[in-house]
Amino acid sequence: MGNHAKGLELVVGRRERGPIRAGRDGTYLLCIDSENRRALLQLLGELRDTLLEDSQVSDTSTDKLRRLFPTAYHDDPESDIEYQRLMRGELMASRLDSISVAGAALERTPDDDTLILTPHELDVFTRSINNLRLVLGTMLDVQEGEDFEEENDDPARHHYHLYSYLGWLLDWAVTAQTGVLQAD
Amino acid sequence: MPRCQTTAVNEPSLIRCRIRHNGVVANRQIICATRYPATSADTDVRPVVVDEPGISETSVTDRPWIVLVWNDPINLMSYVTFVFQKLFGYNLEKATGLMLDVHHKGRAVVSSGPRERAEFDVYRLHEHGLWATMQKDSSS
Repeated sequence: MGNHAKGLELVVGRRERGPIRAGRDGTYLLCIDSENRRALLQLLGELRDTLLEDSQVSDTSTDKLRRLFPTAYHDDPESDIEYQRLMRGELMASRLDSISVAGAALERTPDDDTLILTPHELDVFTRSINNLRLVLGTMLDVQEGEDFEEENDDPARHHYHLYSYLGWLLDWAVTAQTGVLQAD
Repeated sequence: MPRCQTTAVNEPSLIRCRIRHNGVVANRQIICATRYPATSADTDVRPVVVDEPGISETSVTDRPWIVLVWNDPINLMSYVTFVFQKLFGYNLEKATGLMLDVHHKGRAVVSSGPRERAEFDVYRLHEHGLWATMQKDSSS
């Protein structure tokens, strides 16, 4: 498994109060500036377009989306075909719905860069961020235990930086929700 | 005839399930009535249609199915632990142990039960981006 949120932590520093935290009334606070919100919106839009494009082309996923539609029966191709026939549409709809809800939340304009999210909005935001990481990590061919060392001449360095940023954000989303799970 | 009952389900959705009657597998659309642990915010109470076998129908006893989660280089350890807690209601210690099994041994059995339940668990794990598969439990 990966732990690529760590890389950015070194750069940004693990702040005492992260960008996502639980509020007192069951909501969550997402504190990221408008530039980063716009960037996330753009990424979510690109993921949505890629999913829609993929769904129109064929029933099988393109290589970069393979992590979003994994096999369910790894030793039984016949059962897997049947499973994919039944469930792939559901999974696609779920992913698109998550992007839609997360995107709508990010489009809200807070006064002080703090968005208030419902538990459902943070849930789909978390899954959508993870979906982005899965696609980006697949495209970058991320391997187990790989450490990223940014080199200025690496054309993919911006993608690695983005991958780390998404991991950092995801880690905080998990931290905020895990605290609530423990309290239940 | 299906009957209605009220139960708590987590994210109830129309799920196409395989229903076995007299050994014949048929695809049916039902709302799965499986009870899943969930956070209070996720819990919803609404009528759920469950399939009730008729007198002439006999159930076929299968070997239990197991759901495996496989290691991958992308998912964060913290995220995988969180998903196990969220979907299966495992405490932090158990969820962390399963995550470490996935990480060190390459895979871990995270749930088991009838095929329909296993398919639903696999679906939800896929929905959360984890690489999950299912197979018959060879140990039974």
